[in-house]
Amino acid sequence: MTAVEERAGQVNRARWADRELFDLEMARIFSRCWQFLAHESEIPEPGDYVLRKMGRDAVIVVRDENGDVRVLLNSCRHRGVPLCRADSGNASHFRCSYHGWTYANTGELRGVTYQRDVYGPGGIDKSRLPLYAPAQVDTVFGLVFATWDRDAEPLAEYLGDITWYLQAVFDKYPEGLEVVGTPVRNVVRANWKTEGENLSGDGYHTAITHASAFELGLFATERDLVKLADEIAPRFTGRTVCTPRGHAMRVQRLPLVLDGNHYFGYPADMWPQFDARLSAAQARLMSALSVGHGSIFPNMSFIENFKTNVDGPDLHARYVRITIRYPIDATTSEELWLYLCPRGADSDWARLSRLAYLRTNGPSGLFEVDDTENFVGISEASRGDVARGLPVVLDGGRHHAPTPPEVGWPGDVVDGDRTERTIRCFHRRWDELMADPGEAGR
Amino acid sequence: MTSTAPARKAVVDAATAFEIQDFLYLEAELLDERCYAEWVNLVDDDFTYQVPTPRTPDSPYKPHWDDRSLLIDESKWSLMSQWFRRFDADIYETAWGENPPVRFRHVLSNVRVHRLIAPAAYEVRSNVVLIATRQSDAPRYLSGRRTDQLIRGDNGFLLTRRRVVLDQVLLDFPQLRIML
Repeated sequence: MTAVEERAGQVNRARWADRELFDLEMARIFSRCWQFLAHESEIPEPGDYVLRKMGRDAVIVVRDENGDVRVLLNSCRHRGVPLCRADSGNASHFRCSYHGWTYANTGELRGVTYQRDVYGPGGIDKSRLPLYAPAQVDTVFGLVFATWDRDAEPLAEYLGDITWYLQAVFDKYPEGLEVVGTPVRNVVRANWKTEGENLSGDGYHTAITHASAFELGLFATERDLVKLADEIAPRFTGRTVCTPRGHAMRVQRLPLVLDGNHYFGYPADMWPQFDARLSAAQARLMSALSVGHGSIFPNMSFIENFKTNVDGPDLHARYVRITIRYPIDATTSEELWLYLCPRGADSDWARLSRLAYLRTNGPSGLFEVDDTENFVGISEASRGDVARGLPVVLDGGRHHAPTPPEVGWPGDVVDGDRTERTIRCFHRRWDELMADPGEAGR
Repeated sequence: MTSTAPARKAVVDAATAFEIQDFLYLEAELLDERCYAEWVNLVDDDFTYQVPTPRTPDSPYKPHWDDRSLLIDESKWSLMSQWFRRFDADIYETAWGENPPVRFRHVLSNVRVHRLIAPAAYEVRSNVVLIATRQSDAPRYLSGRRTDQLIRGDNGFLLTRRRVVLDQVLLDFPQLRIML
């Protein structure tokens, strides 16, 4: 039993501010877990690369000349100088600025300058010195993941039941999704876990933190709902999914009584495409979606969100966003924001979808401004010498009823929109990994 | 290169240059004082405000921003009904991120009429430093290059377009909901 189950409500605040715990997280979580790096659409052509991080290590995510996605530690084998200084670009080779060692975009060391002069008549065995690389790299629905752990279970097992939900979000478009442009990057003075906990399924904070958004018409109200369906249900309903590796999701449905699937927020000509690509149960997940968001352990989150009146009355749209939090220290993170648009989408709708994103859950969106104050505040208040030893309360939703199995959603699924079970799911996994010294301790 | 070199010869007379500069100083002051109701009177109904995403490119011949992805994309309507509305007395208490408000200070320099778009329509470039102070935190700043478009209307100048390219890539600022 982990701390989360055994001592309900006994997760201490040090978890969001403590330096030693942070260092242990780097060793026991970020050195082991599969981590999301990039979307394949960011590197469509051979040589295309983006610079990303695994924990605090910078890695190059590059498509090699054979079209395979490679992940390479951005540090020369010789003296450790970074090979890439740009956020993105295209290169068949990476050349070090210090002594000129040159690598193919597969990571293979190709050239060592003045080799015989420096290393003797036999030169140096270049085959032993490719760029360091994660032990495993894999891709699902265009999402590129990697892990340093050669003993890690395959990605498909790591993701488990959450894969079915990722498919519903990311794989329902006939021509796929593409990341639009360079991701925004910013520093958030909060622990790296906080936003992921929120996005794992905190439907409890919405009405309070985002109260102003109701006033501004950005949540569907009766005024909007009566135009979407003949009959309105009494309330928004929600459901959460938890999985053993700490991945979780929340799905909230618009309170509408409907026949068939209605993918509000998308152009009507996309609706039959979704019906064709989704299973019946996945289609019910996506139909009349108000919001769906989840977190993939440890530091990636996704959201598909229906936002109303974003560029004037009755102008509604859905959008898909990925965020990543890179740990910097116990109370500082770097955040990356990826906005994704279906390839070939109608340009007017694509613009509206982008505005729906930017004005609500984009880096300058009003939801984010309100959320961020909470996330930053947690780390500020948890630094105190008394506060750090005090527990938080995470017991919400323990009494909620399991979703009937005939609904057909995989994983541990429970009906109830205001819950803390997805946060417990995250911390259960955190407890397991933090308690396991791994190779080093055996 | 990504920008055209500035012309050596002034494109407007000294009096017009002064009027434009004074207009931009007033506009910045209204933002700093959170006089949003007055500020909106200085922008055209079709006003757009865009900030592209800053980036470190892989070549000095490429821009250090990406126009495909935006950090901010607002209109007069969205600023009035979504952005400034949150500071109104009836809802500010639950617009948590603005309460207490981050204190912003615009420092504007190198104001220069870059070109004449049409008679009485100007493109004006300037450097902007935005300083933000949140609660008890130390101030943080962002710098950027503004490209504004202005028209002279019956009641003075109106901003028709503002576009700001930022210098910082990993943005370290209290919030990114910012009027640069």
